[in-house]
Amino acid sequence: MRSAFLTYFRLIAADIRSQLGYPVSFLLETAGAGLIISMYFISLALVFQRFDNIAGWTLGEVAFLYGLIEMGFGTMDMIFSGFDPQFFGQIVRRGGFDKILLRPQSLTLQVLGSSFVIRRLGRILQGVVIFLIALSMVEISWTPVKIIYLPVVFASLVCFFGGFFIIGSTITFWTVESIEVINILTYGGSEMMSYPMHIYQDWMRRFFTFIVPAIFLNYYPALYFLDKPALQELPYFAPFLSPIAGFGVLFFALRFWRFGIRHYQSTGT
Amino acid sequence: MSLLWEVAKLAMQRQLTYRAATLAGLLTNFFFGLLRAAVLVALFGTSQEVAGLTIQGAITYTGLTQAVIAYLSFFGWFEVMDSVYSGEIASALLKPMSYFSFWLGQDLGRALVNFTLRGLTIMGLYALVFDLTVPTHFSQWLALLATLILSWLVSFSWRFLVNLSAFWTPNARGIGRFAFGLTWVLSGFLMPLRFFPEWFIKLCNLTPFPSMINTVVEIYLGVLESHEVIQALLVQGLWVVILVVAAHLILRAGTHRLVIQGG
Amino acid sequence: MSDMISATDLKKHFVLHRHRPGFIGAVRNLITREHRLIRAVDGVNFHIECGEFVGYLGPNGAGKSTTLKMLTGLLVPTSGELLVNGRVPWRERQVHVGEIGAVFGQRTTLWWDLPVIDSLELLRHIYHIPADRFRKNLQEFRDLLELDHFLHTPVRALSLGERMRADLCAALLHDPRLLFLDEPTIGLDVVAKERIRQFIRHINLERGTTILLTTHDISDVEKLCKRVMIIDRGRLLYDGLLDKLHQRFGGNRQLVVDFGEIYEDVHVDGAQVTEQVGTRVTYHFERGTVTASELIGRLSSRFRIRDLEVREPDVEDTIRRIYEEQLLVRG
Repeated sequence: MRSAFLTYFRLIAADIRSQLGYPVSFLLETAGAGLIISMYFISLALVFQRFDNIAGWTLGEVAFLYGLIEMGFGTMDMIFSGFDPQFFGQIVRRGGFDKILLRPQSLTLQVLGSSFVIRRLGRILQGVVIFLIALSMVEISWTPVKIIYLPVVFASLVCFFGGFFIIGSTITFWTVESIEVINILTYGGSEMMSYPMHIYQDWMRRFFTFIVPAIFLNYYPALYFLDKPALQELPYFAPFLSPIAGFGVLFFALRFWRFGIRHYQSTGT
Repeated sequence: MSLLWEVAKLAMQRQLTYRAATLAGLLTNFFFGLLRAAVLVALFGTSQEVAGLTIQGAITYTGLTQAVIAYLSFFGWFEVMDSVYSGEIASALLKPMSYFSFWLGQDLGRALVNFTLRGLTIMGLYALVFDLTVPTHFSQWLALLATLILSWLVSFSWRFLVNLSAFWTPNARGIGRFAFGLTWVLSGFLMPLRFFPEWFIKLCNLTPFPSMINTVVEIYLGVLESHEVIQALLVQGLWVVILVVAAHLILRAGTHRLVIQGG
Repeated sequence: MSDMISATDLKKHFVLHRHRPGFIGAVRNLITREHRLIRAVDGVNFHIECGEFVGYLGPNGAGKSTTLKMLTGLLVPTSGELLVNGRVPWRERQVHVGEIGAVFGQRTTLWWDLPVIDSLELLRHIYHIPADRFRKNLQEFRDLLELDHFLHTPVRALSLGERMRADLCAALLHDPRLLFLDEPTIGLDVVAKERIRQFIRHINLERGTTILLTTHDISDVEKLCKRVMIIDRGRLLYDGLLDKLHQRFGGNRQLVVDFGEIYEDVHVDGAQVTEQVGTRVTYHFERGTVTASELIGRLSSRFRIRDLEVREPDVEDTIRRIYEEQLLVRG
């Protein structure tokens, strides 16, 4: 087990070394990705000048959610780069997955180790900045539980999004064409989760509660951190379900991943 | 001209083979449209009209922006830079048509298929869920047709220009991602431009980006006076001319460089 | 000796979607698709013993790479039994692939942007190779494959021949008992090919590594393998010694005779005249019906011979004939 993780870190180190072999490209893309995210936020902030609030949430409160999601998604996007469906789909199409199968190591660790895109730091950093702006705009009454729970929510978010990357990559064993559907869950999910969930229609909110448990990872914890009232009465433990939802999705994704590998081994490409 | 049409027809044929991708793209666009609509409705709150846009208009706006994504390849288009990097450009340059027209033809085919299979379908789906604004006058439809064609031309020549950076740098993909990201914000794709502060709108109007999305939206929604419509179409036309000329000049400089340096 | 590979009635079938041609076809494809069953490998039986060096031949799409994928554990067969190195490949993937090596000529297993030595180091950890064994093997391969002058070059900057040598080294560092080689000399010049052949032969002889070689290059097979298997349309057409293949299907041998003067009638029993240019006459004769010396005897009793030469048909010709004329009945 230990040696497997050592191998994983060696693989990542190798990938990072290759990326640093193109320093100009690296710097450009890091800055670019960060800049685009900040432009989205700036444009939202500008539009807020006209509207003042969105369904009772101020710009600072939305920024809290937005920053948290950006940090979580960006971090996931870096750690799970190997499972980025776009990237992994290409690997499969070019026969690169055979190379992975031919090595005496865990497939999951090998895929995770196959890519670690450090230019995502740009996006993460931007998320951090937005989150700090949020903290300066809203008064949060910090308690010890809140301080401990914040990193837990963050880690759960990373697992949650990572689970969808894994599911998306697994689907590429069947079809490389429909990767865009996965974008609904990953990019769409992260965009949707950047806003307070009560702005969505009931069926959408229900979908993102019971089918895809996204609401436990952004809205409920945010209500708790910001001390905002929920629209309906919630059980007191609702904000604390983040780890169950996050790790649960990751667990399910890994099961699906195994199933996908079996399919791949029976059909090839 | 007939050569252009032949290229376009082949591109259409290829585009039609992406069955699953088309369906997936449709679903994605529709989903994001619903998301955007929810955000706008929540922003409107109790107001009926903001900056000359009704809530119905705002919802229609989210549908329109999603409908033109595939038509305008709005999420990025890297084919020309790929062909520069792979060296395929050398054989394409030998073809009996200009390199610009060759890709124009390709993009025409791609755009036509996506306009029908994705654009019109998205609007159809939207009409099932929402009460949409629809142009009423014949002249409005005519203006819509003109602005759609012009917006494609602006978008294509802009994308082509961005791709040409591959002649000078190995990082064209990064430049492209950044340039297309910029397009999202400044074209009125993320939010209707009318909602932004005056200084920001002025800034956008100095760029070709509003001519890709914002003009189409405003003409469709009928929020412009007739003289404003004509003005908007003229601005679009002007950008087409500027960008096409720029594309040709830069292409010539690029191929010159390619010939001298041997790739 | 024990079996390294044993395959019994091995089958692999796929379902394939068909695209209709043309514009109308493209529109119709949007709605419905045709399916077709492909029998990539259709009931194949063979055994390979430890230490053997076997050539695996067949035209494109014959089922070679599907077989290879099953042997390496990448694909699960539709039916049949397969035992490689005492294991069912796909059931114990990690253990299995740790004891085999594979080189696919078209694709590298090395890290594109890293220096060769860094890739080899990474593989040392991936295959859990003890440090001293790694050092010993690397030293040996560095000498045999002459890796030294590009060991610190990134793989993307290597020539095809250098890359292939690096890949061979990478595939053998963990002392595999069985080595799969898929087109190892593709695209290489004559000198590079020869160097790689020598190395492969050395590995087979000195280390006793069992080798299965698939290739289009018949000269690889001629120079390296005693035994060949030929597959076409999912069926084994031939499995046996290369020499016997020659004898059975070698077709006609040739006798080229340079006569002392021009004769009008040069016919002789047991052979056919296929070409006559001046004093030079080419005869074809069948193996088995007449020997070369009998023929020469008959000719020299009637004509004055200045010079003569017996030509054997080459393997490539033989194999081409097998594919084209379906010389071997299926099964």
